[in-house]
Amino acid sequence: MDNIKLIINFLGQLLPAINITLIVSLSSIVLGSLLGLLLAATRLSESIVLRLLAGVYVSVIRATPAIIMIFVVYYGMPMVFNGWFHTNIDGWNRMYFVIIALTVLFSAPVSEIMRSAYESIAKGQMEAGLMVGMTPFQTFYRIILPQAFVVALPNFANSVVNLLKEGALTFTIGVVDMVAKAQMIVANNSGGFAWQTYCALALIYWVISLAIDKGLSLVEKSYQAKRKTIAV
Amino acid sequence: MLTIEGLKKSYAGNDILKGISINVNKGDVISIIGPSGSGKTTLLRTITTLEEANGGRITFAGVDNDFQKLNGKEINTIRRNVGFVFQNYNLFNNKTALQNITEGLIVARRVKKNEAENIALKALERVGLTDRKDHYPSQLSGGQQQRVGIARAIALNPEVIFFDEPTSALDPELVGEVLKVMKDLANSGTTMVVVTHQMSFARDVSNRVIFMADGYIVEQGEPRKIFENPSEERTKKFLTDILANV
Repeated sequence: MDNIKLIINFLGQLLPAINITLIVSLSSIVLGSLLGLLLAATRLSESIVLRLLAGVYVSVIRATPAIIMIFVVYYGMPMVFNGWFHTNIDGWNRMYFVIIALTVLFSAPVSEIMRSAYESIAKGQMEAGLMVGMTPFQTFYRIILPQAFVVALPNFANSVVNLLKEGALTFTIGVVDMVAKAQMIVANNSGGFAWQTYCALALIYWVISLAIDKGLSLVEKSYQAKRKTIAV
Repeated sequence: MLTIEGLKKSYAGNDILKGISINVNKGDVISIIGPSGSGKTTLLRTITTLEEANGGRITFAGVDNDFQKLNGKEINTIRRNVGFVFQNYNLFNNKTALQNITEGLIVARRVKKNEAENIALKALERVGLTDRKDHYPSQLSGGQQQRVGIARAIALNPEVIFFDEPTSALDPELVGEVLKVMKDLANSGTTMVVVTHQMSFARDVSNRVIFMADGYIVEQGEPRKIFENPSEERTKKFLTDILANV
């Protein structure tokens, strides 16, 4: 019973830091999705060079562990900015580096998900759109994208949960998120109650990922419900 | 109204169409028959610019050019003046029956929404599906989906409607309802080019039958002539084989 009380107590101490985790995750999801969409379009383009470049990019990014990506961005970007643009970005909020690293990481699976969803429905629907006089872009935007979105949702939800977990590495470059907070709590207790603290942290991650799953499956259901409201 | 001269198409070194010339007049109902692999579907797809041709010329709707020299504007002109009914229906799966028809009108033709809906309702009435207007494709039978597909094509009031084996994907008991709709269209003066394996349609409804084999037009003429007195050996053999399987 004492342990449960402790965990609840630690929950209360950790939760104030949740906003950093949420900001980092949400920004990376939004930016990473946009980048992933762009990548998917590139991989479907007619130019062999573009396709090849995007393919290499995706295969490299998918093989890069999150922690390495975060370090590469954190240590590498300031040097690149200094060398190329003569701009000093050392003073940037460290959270930005994590967001950039996670955005790049997230774009790879998103591009794969979007591409396969697109390919699963595109051909016949595109031809039908062209034959009623719509342009390829109109057909893509009005017919293919809404369908690809629904097809992609379950895999997308998986990737979002992965991203959330990778975001737990934010603390490694000194951003005070929930993980950093947990470390501080443990340190303040001179190393005591460590497992209770981290259990509380795991509990928070579990609830967030539950919310993501539930939220996205509600979106999915609402799309399907639209087509099942009328009895056949 | 539509003239095709010397149309050629090859895939990966295989010649699929070896120089096809066709002339379609207003009100024509043309059936294209022939063994599978003879290039019938490819012919429709190249004429409608769904596939790029490797040679030949098209004269249609103010466009008069070699297929390979068509610019974007000319391609659009061709697409806007044809209707296409697909073998697999290809209805927009995220749209209701009514929206499937209004989509092209509103987005491509810039018709006002309520006007587009009136046109769509009339088209649905012609195919007998007014009561299914709010159903999504997944809620319709194959025959109903294909009838929506036909309604979608006629609502745009194109110069000519191409049908690519419109009944081939249907269960046998659903073929009749689609053929009936097509027959009504033909009788009302719609210009149609139909790739079909339904010999009854070719014989009884169309005013011209084109027999294709190996990328060529082997023979064409009035249905009675083709079915009762074909001049080519190839045509005779095809018809005998087909009729033996009925």
